[in-house]
Amino acid sequence: MAEPSVYLEKISAFSRILRMEGLAIGPKETADACEILVALGLTDRAQVKTALQTVYAKSREEQLIFDRAFDGFFLSEEAMRRQAEDQARHDSEIQQNIRQLQESGQGQGLSEEQQYIYGTMPEEARDKLKEFMTKYQASAQRNPQLYDGFIKSVFTKSLLEQQIRMEDAAVGAAATDPEMGMLYRDISRFKEAEIPKAIVIIQTIARQINGELTAKRSRGGHSGKLDFRRTIRKGLETGGSFYRLNYRKKRSRRKNLVLLCDVSGSMMQFSEFALRFIQSLNQTTESSRVFLFSEEMYEASPFSLQNMDLFRDYVRECGIYGKGTDLGSALQALSATEPPVLNSATSLIILSDTKTVAQERAISALQEAKRKAGKVILLNPIPQSHWPYITSAQAFSSVCSMVSCSTLSDLAAACRKLTIS
Amino acid sequence: MDLQTLKRKMDDAHYIYDDTMATVLAVALQLGRPLLIEGAAGVGKTEIAKVMASALDRDLVRLQCYEGLDESKALYEWNYQKQLLSIQVNMGTKDSDELTKSLFSDEYLLERPLLRSIRSENPVVLLIDEIDKADEEFEAFLLELLSEMQVSIPEIGTVKARSIPFVVLTSNRARPLSEALRRRCAYLYIQYPDMEKELAILRAKLPHIDDRLCAQVALAVSRLRSNEAILKKPSIAETLDWVAALDALGIRELTPDALRQTAGFVLKNSEDFAVLEGLDVKTPETAQHPHCGGCHHG
Repeated sequence: MAEPSVYLEKISAFSRILRMEGLAIGPKETADACEILVALGLTDRAQVKTALQTVYAKSREEQLIFDRAFDGFFLSEEAMRRQAEDQARHDSEIQQNIRQLQESGQGQGLSEEQQYIYGTMPEEARDKLKEFMTKYQASAQRNPQLYDGFIKSVFTKSLLEQQIRMEDAAVGAAATDPEMGMLYRDISRFKEAEIPKAIVIIQTIARQINGELTAKRSRGGHSGKLDFRRTIRKGLETGGSFYRLNYRKKRSRRKNLVLLCDVSGSMMQFSEFALRFIQSLNQTTESSRVFLFSEEMYEASPFSLQNMDLFRDYVRECGIYGKGTDLGSALQALSATEPPVLNSATSLIILSDTKTVAQERAISALQEAKRKAGKVILLNPIPQSHWPYITSAQAFSSVCSMVSCSTLSDLAAACRKLTIS
Repeated sequence: MDLQTLKRKMDDAHYIYDDTMATVLAVALQLGRPLLIEGAAGVGKTEIAKVMASALDRDLVRLQCYEGLDESKALYEWNYQKQLLSIQVNMGTKDSDELTKSLFSDEYLLERPLLRSIRSENPVVLLIDEIDKADEEFEAFLLELLSEMQVSIPEIGTVKARSIPFVVLTSNRARPLSEALRRRCAYLYIQYPDMEKELAILRAKLPHIDDRLCAQVALAVSRLRSNEAILKKPSIAETLDWVAALDALGIRELTPDALRQTAGFVLKNSEDFAVLEGLDVKTPETAQHPHCGGCHHG
């Protein structure tokens, strides 16, 4: 058995790793961890893990982070050897792929990072890319000016897609807890059977946010006006001496929400979830109006939003399902509505992935809507890490505040920010 | 108390636990930290405090939290009526300074659960139930008690704990708790028990009930819980009620008819009843399930 100081060093290093993972670990937690290891011993790995988890992780979310960090840090010798071998094999495969790319002469003009990304691509994707290059090689030699740019753009696009896939894999939620996993998974990838579970999660989070709002309102201070009735009644308890004055509570102002939801094919599922979320926040709004759009815009009746089936039927009946997206005309129609829907007291929430026809018209319509509404927020189901690769996302984010809502967790954070801040 | 002793004491209290729970409880006891337990409603969070009181042979002091709970209900309150009476009685007889001083003494202090738990001569188990229902101010107020085991009363000063209580806080996660509170606690998250654990609970709590019926109920409940369409998952207490109800009605086998008659003990809303109608909760393989022990009775 190693010296105790070795274990202390290890625990201290482990604390630093957890800190880097975002857990608020102080010296007290590290000291507790050492104390508990001394008391329980180190013979049983599962017991050590549970004991350290109790000390370090203070929520369900932190427990998942802890599990990952622990399994990565306290490896058995065999696991370490296996991991090192896997890593070496993986690295040599990547290097071999890069060498092949350079030998074929197709890697010219690519940066080192792009070559590395090419090396990580699965064989099928690499073959597809090579096939494409070979197909257009002759044309490119005949007319380099016309084809060079085209080939390069296709190549770069494939590399970007691979990069996005790698980033997604790195962000991936732990699959050990299905409920937590759903919170961090892309909403558009939910299966039909998972939707009821997702709705239950939405209801739970909405209840939490409502609870926070109620608590915030109840501690919102007083209006400065004396509540005579309550003061006198309280005073009677102490023989008529008004030892504590009671004041009237501040009246809280709720928001008027206008929701503009893209229900074109790919956006349907996200819009349904987001709508359900926002509508569940019954503490938030005084009134809310919901408009649905694809190529045209319709106002949704509250009845049609009651459940998923009714919502889908309504969208199909309107004839806007499965059509393209024209955010510009929807925003123009919304701004032109009489009597006006948008005014300084309304918050306009747009649920859209920003992929629209006539982008410039949409941008100017958004600027007009922003001028009329008190606040405009765009909830985008595309992860923020992908925005740099999408020009429309960059353009819209420069006009109004855009929040990434690709997962239920993001959506909850956005709604919390929207309602509580 | 070491882990093995704790396990033995929990066995004596007929409490069904797993190794994770026992280790967490032992760690919290060893470090003298409050224990924050989170989980869905009905997974047995409150029960842990009761069992710990029994295992440690201590009294259980319970504080039920709710919106608007303040220190006068949780910590202490002055008995104003008694103070006013005392002023009127002693007005002419006592020196005014002495009278004022005597008004803020133990005689006029009404102890509430938190103060009672730290002023007790013998250590107790303090259960702060459903902390998520209390306001954030109350959470902040608890910090001094949880970290220093003392409270400050303006008229008296700092009251240090005579004995250190084992504090258990429970939360249904209706709202997120503050980081400061979490940092001061050891943390345990409880999920619904699996079928085997549920069966063990039924056997321990209702030993007189036929094992085959218990197994059928445990299987049915586990299927109801794993069904995504069921909105309100049955709690452990509801499972116990259900078995007790079946027993009281003289039902020895969970047939579809018996299930329909008594489903009200385990499902509590109309949407879930509608789901149950279209669901085959009990199937013939129930009797042959390897863990149920039903085979011996069939």
